[in-house]
Amino acid sequence: MKFRFAFLLAGLVLAATQLALTQTVVLGLPKTIEAGSAFSIQSTGAGKAVLYIVGSGQVLRRDVQLGETTFFAPGDLHNAGRYIAVLVGASSTENGEFDVTAARQPAALSFLAKPSRLPVDLHDGISGVAYVFDTYRNLVLAPTQVSFQLSNINGAVQTRTVLTHNGVTWTKMDSAAKEGAARFVASAGNATSTRVIQQVPGDPCHLRMSAQPSGQRLAVVTEPVRDCSGNAVPDGTIVTFTETYKGGEATVDVPLKRGVARTEMPAYNGAKLSVATGVVVGNEIYWGNVR
Amino acid sequence: MSNGRILAIVIVSVTVALIVVGTLWPIPAAVAMASSGSDLLRPSTSPQAAVANLADEIGRLAWEKAYSSLANNNEFTELDFVHDLTGSYPSLRAYATLDSFDQQPLHASADEAQIQLKLHWSTVVGSFLDTRTLRVVKTGDRWAVAWPVVKEPRVPPQVIPVNYLRWDVIYRGPEDDWAAQDVEAPHVRIVDMHPVERGDGVIIMGELLNEDVVPAYVTVKATLLAQNGSAIATEDSFDKISHILLPKQVTPFLIAFHNVSLSDVANIHMEPSASLIAASADPVIEIEDQHLNPAPGASLSGNLLNQSGQVVNVAHVLETFYDKTGQLVWVSDQFVDRALLPQTPVSFTIPIPADIAAKVASERAISATYSSGRFQ
Amino acid sequence: MHKTESVAPASRPIPLSMIFMAALVVHLPLLLMKLPLKSYDANFHIFFASHYLHNWFDPWNSKWYAGFSQTTYPPMPQQWLALLSRIIGLDMAYMAVQFAAILLLALGVYRFSLLWVDHRAASFASLASVFLGSECFLVYSAGQLSTTFAAPLYLNALPYLFQWVRHGNRRSFLKGGMLFVAAAAAHHVTLLFGSLLFALPVLALVILDRQHSGRGDRERLSLPVFFFRTGSIVLVVGAAVALVLLPFWIALIHYPVTQTPIPHPSRANYLLSPQWGLNYFVVPYGALILALPFIVWRGSSVARLRPLLLGFWVALLVGLGGTTPVGRLLLGRAFDVLTMERFSYWATLLALPFVGLLAVELIDRFQMRAVVGLTIAGALTCGLAVAWASYRPADATDFKVDTVASWLNRDGHDRYRYVTLGFGNKISRLAVLTDASSVDGEWNSGRMLPELTQYGGGALTSSKYFGKPGLDALSAMLHHADRYGLKWIFVRDPYYEPLLVFGGWRRVDDLEDKTITVWSKEDVPPAVPVNAPQIPPRWQGLMWGILPIGSSILAMFLVLIPERLWHRRRVLQPSATHENLVLGRLAS
Repeated sequence: MKFRFAFLLAGLVLAATQLALTQTVVLGLPKTIEAGSAFSIQSTGAGKAVLYIVGSGQVLRRDVQLGETTFFAPGDLHNAGRYIAVLVGASSTENGEFDVTAARQPAALSFLAKPSRLPVDLHDGISGVAYVFDTYRNLVLAPTQVSFQLSNINGAVQTRTVLTHNGVTWTKMDSAAKEGAARFVASAGNATSTRVIQQVPGDPCHLRMSAQPSGQRLAVVTEPVRDCSGNAVPDGTIVTFTETYKGGEATVDVPLKRGVARTEMPAYNGAKLSVATGVVVGNEIYWGNVR
Repeated sequence: MSNGRILAIVIVSVTVALIVVGTLWPIPAAVAMASSGSDLLRPSTSPQAAVANLADEIGRLAWEKAYSSLANNNEFTELDFVHDLTGSYPSLRAYATLDSFDQQPLHASADEAQIQLKLHWSTVVGSFLDTRTLRVVKTGDRWAVAWPVVKEPRVPPQVIPVNYLRWDVIYRGPEDDWAAQDVEAPHVRIVDMHPVERGDGVIIMGELLNEDVVPAYVTVKATLLAQNGSAIATEDSFDKISHILLPKQVTPFLIAFHNVSLSDVANIHMEPSASLIAASADPVIEIEDQHLNPAPGASLSGNLLNQSGQVVNVAHVLETFYDKTGQLVWVSDQFVDRALLPQTPVSFTIPIPADIAAKVASERAISATYSSGRFQ
Repeated sequence: MHKTESVAPASRPIPLSMIFMAALVVHLPLLLMKLPLKSYDANFHIFFASHYLHNWFDPWNSKWYAGFSQTTYPPMPQQWLALLSRIIGLDMAYMAVQFAAILLLALGVYRFSLLWVDHRAASFASLASVFLGSECFLVYSAGQLSTTFAAPLYLNALPYLFQWVRHGNRRSFLKGGMLFVAAAAAHHVTLLFGSLLFALPVLALVILDRQHSGRGDRERLSLPVFFFRTGSIVLVVGAAVALVLLPFWIALIHYPVTQTPIPHPSRANYLLSPQWGLNYFVVPYGALILALPFIVWRGSSVARLRPLLLGFWVALLVGLGGTTPVGRLLLGRAFDVLTMERFSYWATLLALPFVGLLAVELIDRFQMRAVVGLTIAGALTCGLAVAWASYRPADATDFKVDTVASWLNRDGHDRYRYVTLGFGNKISRLAVLTDASSVDGEWNSGRMLPELTQYGGGALTSSKYFGKPGLDALSAMLHHADRYGLKWIFVRDPYYEPLLVFGGWRRVDDLEDKTITVWSKEDVPPAVPVNAPQIPPRWQGLMWGILPIGSSILAMFLVLIPERLWHRRRVLQPSATHENLVLGRLAS
């Protein structure tokens, strides 16, 4: 009785194995696909099955007839990365892997330009970093030429062309000697991205003031305040007037207005007037006892 | 029955006695809460009692009573008296509470005395001292204070054109992508820094410069590090700095660490931070007539002159002191208790430690301001 | 001289059901109007309850003081509030618990008065409790739920204490003991101070009754038995209270209240500060002030009433705050920590048996005129105390904090801590509504942050009212904003703006029609939980969640066990020293 049951079991296993072998399916997967392009997957065997394609942020499901080619339209797979294809048949499952790579043609740039504001005449003061993406915002890992161009207000242009490495590239530029907004453009293929860099005057140079009586007080006024490149220091910049006299002192922080700082100070004979802005010191005036 | 009567009498008598004791010699908690009646308990039968009663009434803001008790109240109105003490415009004085007072007799005769009254006022930004020398005169059997009223100047009606700069900022929006451009934070730099051990701890003093062309909202944080690199303590400059720095403006700062010894400190990590803010170049405050007053009681006194048209409710003077070699030796500050009216000087005095005063060769002052109702 | 017993309705005791009905008529509408929500402390209790609602077994509340333990405050009323809130919400649950306390007070006063006076006077005393100024003051103006919950429990326990010590009734021992424990679980101050004022007169009464017993009285009480019974109940109740409130004692022993005292107007001299005299004496006592001569005279005249008079007298003197030096002398440092209005409350409760006597005598003598007069006096007393909450509200202006709470609850703002300035006692309501944590709070004994404890200021939100100490505490806290992740300040009082402007805070938003401004500080790191040693271990949380409320449930069950009919045995009539006295008493 025991032997008879063992034979029956062995016969069933044999028959099932035979059936399974006859229905084995095979997936014909491409090795790589460019993101967004049309592609097809070939399968072998007979009957119906379901094909799953699973990747980063995207899953596709298709009912397929085994032995036929399954077509995917352009744009069906658009996220770059590694994908797994799983074909689930009636009695067996087959899977495989393939890569989706970014399109070779750059379509967008992420451009970081730092700083957005800097003093004039600064060597390598401006840095630009560009990331190259395709239409589907996949980082283009293949080396791509990126062109950086910094155009100043006076028309001077600095250009650098560099290749990306792993999708990113960078460069450094000098700020111009003249203040004003500069257009910093990065371009790759048809993709361009523009940033505006504000080039502002540097520390004042040759700070000078003059004084004259104004009633009971002294009117002190600076000459137009400029930096070492001749740019007018912007209004609002604080200029400190200090007056020292016998046993006393007067200080006032005045913002520049229309290029000059102007205020009134007490009039003391023999007083010393000085002017400064930030860490820059200007001229001195001895009132009533001019040296 | 007689026992009951005795008990009732005892209870009533003891209760009355306890109330009398509690009223004549009130406990400190009751004194702190007392709102009136102090002059009933302490009639103005001496110059000191008259001054104390007046100070009590000032402390309770019982202006009518205080004014009516003055010997010279026919010389000025009650409003003049109130404005002398609280100011005509909103200022630290207007909302100050009298914390305590003390008096010192200077001179006394049979019917007149001179007493120095020191009123210790408490305000939201700290305390200030108001010292008045009072003449106290005897009228009948009571003494009364002749108040030396100081009438606050009034600004005549006028139009003061103000066209100083103002900076506004548009920041990047939350929907902008990560690489989108944003406005750059202002560039600031610590241009001077000195740690010293003083009192019960370490003090770090220095100066911070806004080297940018836009206004900056600044603060300085310092961390004391031990030999093994661990942090001993972290503090920031809090109100010992001018937080709004216009382009090229320099502020002193002072950071205090209590209960720390400088010998335990191997390193100091300074962390200045700056953010871009909307700001105005107005008001411009001139600090004039600065005088170093030598020890004892070393101080720096001067006047603030508001050159702009708006009333400044609270002004904060920060003073940096340097020695002969130009090294920073001390940073001190003072809040001004009166409002700064346009073109009206207001005096200030900043105390300086006696040992520091001897080293001071020069100083530099800046002021920060607060005007109520104005967006900071 | 013989008195003819009146057969008029007024000559009979008022049924308890009628007294409860009066309490219902007077107080239920006021509670349904949620009037107590305007009081000083109601929202404080609701805040505690809201924590129990969500964290029944975890007494560490991180919403105030960057974290504090609720084991520093006995939890029973708040736990009942939390339980009921699951059905009717927190606000109405508060009203329900408060109403239960009012009903318990009427019952407790009745039972307590029966120790001293007859049924009729006791019923009048009980009715008077419904109109009692101090009760209305505490309920509608002060919002002292725990005090008004604990006192009735003590009053209900005292007759059992009498029965145990006087007659050795074991059920009374059990019931009284459990009620004492439940009362302790409701309020610690009532346990530590009030219990002496209530219990000592009752024990003295036992001694007096013992002295008046005849030599042949089989219930004659010997002194050793008196001391044994007193000692036994003190020991057992003491042990039970120690166990039930063990986390509280642990917190108190490890972290005693060593803070700088905070001034409170109830400690003022009411003659030198008449406005506080009005607040803390005239309003709570009301028409009872007119009865003071009677209380002193009658209490002195009748030997049996003298312990009650003395208890009342001491409570009255302490309740007068700084008007007399008694409070300071008796309480020592506790005088600077406790508020005194609760002593006035206890004094008025101790006065109620006298009020009952007075009412009986007035009604017997003047009939309807007395009834009308007493009714008017009661109504005026109650009315004044209820209206006082409107005349002298806890907050001068009412405003909503809902927008502040929703601002804190959105956009991750609750990752940082906050503090309010000029919000008064609305901070409790805000704490209920928001998920964010604050460094401020209203439970001064629970705070541990050195910035708060080393100065004599109360809540930071009201700093300016505490003068220099309050502002010093606020300044110290703002100095250490980074340490506590304190990023937001909600300002409703521009007084504080200069401190914020000069201290490095910037205005970033405004709410409620620009009446509330939001201030922020740059570079503040997100708040991290404070790893304080005060965090109770898990076993304490379990105890705290089970024993206090368990004691009240057990007390309810025990009280419901039928009493033996021992009270039918006539208790010896104390000898009257005055011919007009009505001193027949049936203990029940």
